[in-house]
This record gives sequence, structure tokens and C-alpha cells, in this order.
Amino acid sequence: MKKLFFFIAAAAILVSPPLRGENGGTPADNEAGESVGSPFNQSKFVPDISLILDASYVYRNTRDGEYEKLHTPAITLVPAEEERHGHEEPFLRNGFNFNYAEITFFSIVDPYLELFAVCHLAEDHFGLEEAYFTTRSLPFGFQLRAGKFLSGFGRLNEQHAHYWDFADQTLIYNAFFGEEGLGEVGARLTWVAPTDFYLMAGAEILRGSNARSFGNGKILNVDGTTIKDGSNGPNLGVGYLKTSFDIGELTVLAGASGAFGKSRINHGLDRAGKSGTAFMGDTYVLGGDITLKYMMDSVRFVSLQAEYLYRHMEGDFHSNDASDVMTRSGMMKRQSGLYAQMVAKFSRRWRCGARYDLLQMNRVEESGVEADLPENMPRYSGMLEYNPTEFSRFRVQYNFDASRYGTETGAYEKKTNHEVIVQANLAIGAHGAHSF
Amino acid sequence: MKKTLLIALALLVWAPSLFANKLKVVTTYPYIASIASQIGGDRIKVDFLARGDYDPHTIIPKPSFIARLRKADLLIINGAQMEIGWLPSLLRQSANPAVNPGNPGFLDLSHSVKLIDVPKSVSREQGDIHPDGNPHYYLDPYNIPPIARSILAKLSALDSHNAAYYRSRHDEFARIWGAKSAEWERKFASLKGKRVIEYHKNFDYILRRHGIILAGTIEPLPGIPPTSKHIEMLEGTIAAGRISLILQDVYNADDAARHLSKKFGIPMVKLPHDVGAVPPAEGIISLFDEIVRRLGQ
Repeated sequence: MKKLFFFIAAAAILVSPPLRGENGGTPADNEAGESVGSPFNQSKFVPDISLILDASYVYRNTRDGEYEKLHTPAITLVPAEEERHGHEEPFLRNGFNFNYAEITFFSIVDPYLELFAVCHLAEDHFGLEEAYFTTRSLPFGFQLRAGKFLSGFGRLNEQHAHYWDFADQTLIYNAFFGEEGLGEVGARLTWVAPTDFYLMAGAEILRGSNARSFGNGKILNVDGTTIKDGSNGPNLGVGYLKTSFDIGELTVLAGASGAFGKSRINHGLDRAGKSGTAFMGDTYVLGGDITLKYMMDSVRFVSLQAEYLYRHMEGDFHSNDASDVMTRSGMMKRQSGLYAQMVAKFSRRWRCGARYDLLQMNRVEESGVEADLPENMPRYSGMLEYNPTEFSRFRVQYNFDASRYGTETGAYEKKTNHEVIVQANLAIGAHGAHSF
Repeated sequence: MKKTLLIALALLVWAPSLFANKLKVVTTYPYIASIASQIGGDRIKVDFLARGDYDPHTIIPKPSFIARLRKADLLIINGAQMEIGWLPSLLRQSANPAVNPGNPGFLDLSHSVKLIDVPKSVSREQGDIHPDGNPHYYLDPYNIPPIARSILAKLSALDSHNAAYYRSRHDEFARIWGAKSAEWERKFASLKGKRVIEYHKNFDYILRRHGIILAGTIEPLPGIPPTSKHIEMLEGTIAAGRISLILQDVYNADDAARHLSKKFGIPMVKLPHDVGAVPPAEGIISLFDEIVRRLGQ
């Protein structure tokens, strides 16, 4: 809360000079060359600022209280547990949802660097989603980026939520990286090849604190003794290769990505008198993506986009029951999933789309024994969008979600959910870039 | 000082390739490429990004554009915020400092001419407004010579070896342009005092220079498609005073223009807004030939 206050105060200071300038006239406006305002007015140096607001109304056939007990076995936790592990907005609730307000700052720092920051504001907390600098003067097509940023893994990861073609994150990205994707502190080097077609390679070294697949914290016993030390330095490496070419008005974009890191995933192992688990080991995620976009004319297009992700985790699994009896076993997880979507823009203001999500493979071996887990869990979505201008968007989306299970009877019990999401997304301030 | 040193160093590194290869020029729109090749001839390699028959404000930023920007020695843009929605992120991703704004390999043509309709205050209440003024300044034969001079100066600065060649080609182009302009002017002059309706304010520079009156636009605000209420209002304008022409572009829906044309018996003319917008407009000269030909029909 205090952070939020400071942030707002800082933003107010940044924004106030042009407001003063508007009333009093800036020195540049004065034709006689006399300085009307302060001779030290810096309003011309205000960075590009924009604010994006996202809110939705949700109807789900499952009551919130019931939905809270559902999860995807061996992939996600029940929402209450998710919240405990730092996922602030674990799910959309029935009724009104204020999803986020995002404030973006961008400016050139000096001839050599530029800076970009995205602040994520929710009703009661403030988060820094991205804040990084990028070089603008390295030769030979190289660019260096450092700070906190969304990894260039795959097609979807780098896109902020307001660029998404659907109201929610895909199942597979949520499964492996979380609702907000793989956003990490670290550094990246990219290289654009001097070829006739688009070819780009990127390598990232990251802290690796993603709560779903990686993690870098220390894992403790109930008595406070250390089971596994936290990582001493970066523990996640990401690499990717992307290429694109045009065949007439058809554009093809394809990519291959890999993320290799260490995992320290602690789900309350050190809570005395309560059950908990922790996984420590090595994890890698591989991904392949393809996008086909066909322009019919200046306005209309059809695009097809699909991604496939595979995750391999291997290491030690510790669990602690309610009477603090600790067990340890070797664990191997092999999981995969995909999404495929089609979006059509059929007039200046209207777009529609369909998406198929699938959590496919879900094999977990504990001490060499394979667990009996559900596989092939799908979700089907359809959406219709009305965009009065490029600064406002209203979307209706329907989800048929068969990826969540209850465990009340002791066995996994599938609970299908029907969801209708009515979403509003608005942007003010500096003009954002259109995405491909 | 440091900057000059850096540039000198870069030039030293790149000099051999500069002499061996043609200067690679990338332009955002086809009309710029056409003017550049008039001056650069076979000593430069010109490539443009946006299609001439698409809406210049909403170009889809294809990754293949990044590949072209990556290898460019010179980027020439229209400016006046026409490329604001699609170029900046491509330029950033192309990782080619040579063509970044502020560096010698970047040219913004909007600085060569005086822009009209610079708004006093800016709010998106006014639609897709351009804070620097109307960006369609190149759709006026009088603004082409200053554009050509800027391109000549830039090509000569980047490739001084061929400066004399560029100068002679430019002078030849300027001579032809002068003769052509006189021819076109006679046509525009015959429209003086006439009242026209436009879909989007594409041709305001020509209209204003030749005293042609813009009575209204089919879009209620820049970038906003026409509403039935606005068309009703426009019908009132047409009923109140004689309208000679309805000017329509090739990329926006023409149903409203067709409706008004049919209802009031006013000819609708589809005008190309860029090289490549219609097949006969193959270059900067044939673009204006075609505009004039269509206006005369």
C-alpha cells in the first residue's frame, strides 16, 4: 500500500510539468522567445506514458466456493494454495472483476540505451511486471537487454495480456509458467541475421524464480534445518530461434524455444502440523510455435496460431504429512500440451476467434511407480470482439473447460465448467504498437 | 566528439562494403521509394514496406519488415505520425542503429514541408488525430520538389562518391516534374471554387492550394467509420449547396460514398493515395497523372 502511494506520487510529479505547461505556455510556445514558465522546465523530456485498464464480468456455472476446490492434477494447485504461492489473482470470480491497470513508461535514456517499464496495478497491490533497458547502438544486429522482462520463449510469452486474442491465458502457458508467463530478472542477448527473410536468435540468463517450473529458494525442514540450499546465482537459461517469411499476402512465423533450469518448488513443506510437499531437481521446457496470417485486404485477415510445449522435470520429491512425518522419493514428470487458435478480423471493428486448449501428456513417476493421473484435458473457447477504435476493445468469450478436477471423493473427479466472460480493455496516453 | 569518432570508426569498418555494394534504401511507403529511385537510379537499391493499396495508418507490422530494416543503410519515412502505429517497434527489433532517428541513415520527409491543420489541442475525442498536422502532404505536386531535394541531400551525404550522379538525376526529375505540374495545375484550376466531399482528409493539400472547398467528410472523425446519423447530416449539407465530387480512397468501404452518389447524382471518384493503389499509378508521376485523369472523368 505504501509502495502504491509512492508510486502514484512519483507518477504525479512526472505528469505534472506538461499540465502546467498547458496553462502557462511553454517557453517554446512563446514567439518572442521569452521564457514564460520556469527556465528549468523539463516537460519535453516526459517519457511516453500509457495506462491500460482491463475489467470483466464473468458468469460461470460453478459457484466460486466450489470452483475454489478444483485443480488440474499434478499441474496446478487449488486456488487457495496458488494464492499462498504468490499468484495474486488465482481465478476470475463470478460477477465483476477488476483485472488490472497497467502503466507503461518508455523513453530513450541516451544515444546508447532505452528504458521500458510496465507497472501492474491491482485493487490492493502494486507489481513491477517489467522494467528493463535495451541497447540501441550495438553493431551487427545484436541487442542486449537487462532488468526484469518477459522471456522471449515461444510466441505468446512476451505478449502482455492486452495483446492476447482471448480474455485468458492458454492452459499450457498457465500450467508451465503461470498466468503472467515467464517474467524474470536477468539478461538477454538477441541477434537478427542479415538475411533476406527474418531470422532471429536469442539467449537469456535468468534468475529462475518462476513458481510453476523453476524456483530458486531455499527449502527447509519442519524443524528449520536446510534440505536444499537456494541457488547461488542465475539458474535458468532460455534460448530460441524465430523465423518468418511471406508468400504473397500470407505471412509465416515459426519458432523453437527451450528453457533449462533448476527447480525449487516448495508447497509448504516447512509448515509444522500441516501436509506439504517440495520438489527440487532439474527442469526443461521445450516449445515449438507457428503462426500463419493471411491478409485479405487492408482491413481483413485470418490468422492461425498454434504452440506445443513439453516439460520434463526430474529430481527429489519431499512430502510432509499432518503429523510431520517426512518422506523422500525420486520423481520424474513428463507433461505436454498445446493450443491452436484461429482469429479472423472481418471488418474494421469486428474480430472473432476460436481456440482449442489441451493439456495432453501428464506422466508422473514417483520412485519408479507411475501415478494414475488424468490426461488429455481440453478447453474450447470462442470469442467475438468489438473495437470502436484501436484504443478500446469489448470482448465476449465463452469457455467450455474440462481441465479441472475435484478431489472430494478421494479420486479425481472431472468437473466441466461453462464460462462467459465479458471484457473491456481500454488504453489512454501514448500510442501503443500494433502487434503482428 | 565521441559520436563523430564512433561514426568515423563505423565508416572505416563499413567503407569497403559501401563501395562494393549499392546503398540500401528502405522506405515506409511506395511513393517515397519511387521518388528515391528517380534520384538514385541504379546506384541505390530501393525497397518499400507498406503496400500502396492499403490504409497507410494501419499497416500490419510483418516480421519480414524487420529483416529489411536490419540491412538498410537509409530509412526514409513519411513522418507526421503516419507510421506511429506500426514502425517504432519494427525499428527497435531490427537492431540496426544506422537507421534510428537522429542518425545519418534516417530521414523524416515531413520536415521538408510545411504541414497544414496542426491542431491547437489534442484529444482522442477527435478520433485518430495527428498532433503534427495532416500527414498526407505528399499528395500535392508542389510538395514533391522539396521532398526530392531532401532525398538528394541525404543520398549525397551518405554516398558522396555518386553525388554528381544523384544531382544530375535529381535535376532531370525536377525539370520533368515542373513541366508535369503545370499540366496538372490546369486541371486542378478548373475545379476552383467547387465543393467536394472526401472520405478521409487525404487530399486537403491539393484542395486548399487550388481553392477547392471541402464541404464535409464521410468519416465523422479521422479513423471512425461513418454512422447513419453522420450520413444524414452530410445529406443535409449536400441538399443545402451543390457538391461537385465525392472523393473516395481505395482502402475504405465505399458504400456510403456510393449511396450519396446515387441519391444525389454526384459523381464518386476513387482516387489513388499512393503509388500502387491502382494499377496505372506505377510511379510518382503516373500517380498524379492518374489522379488528374480520374478527376477529369
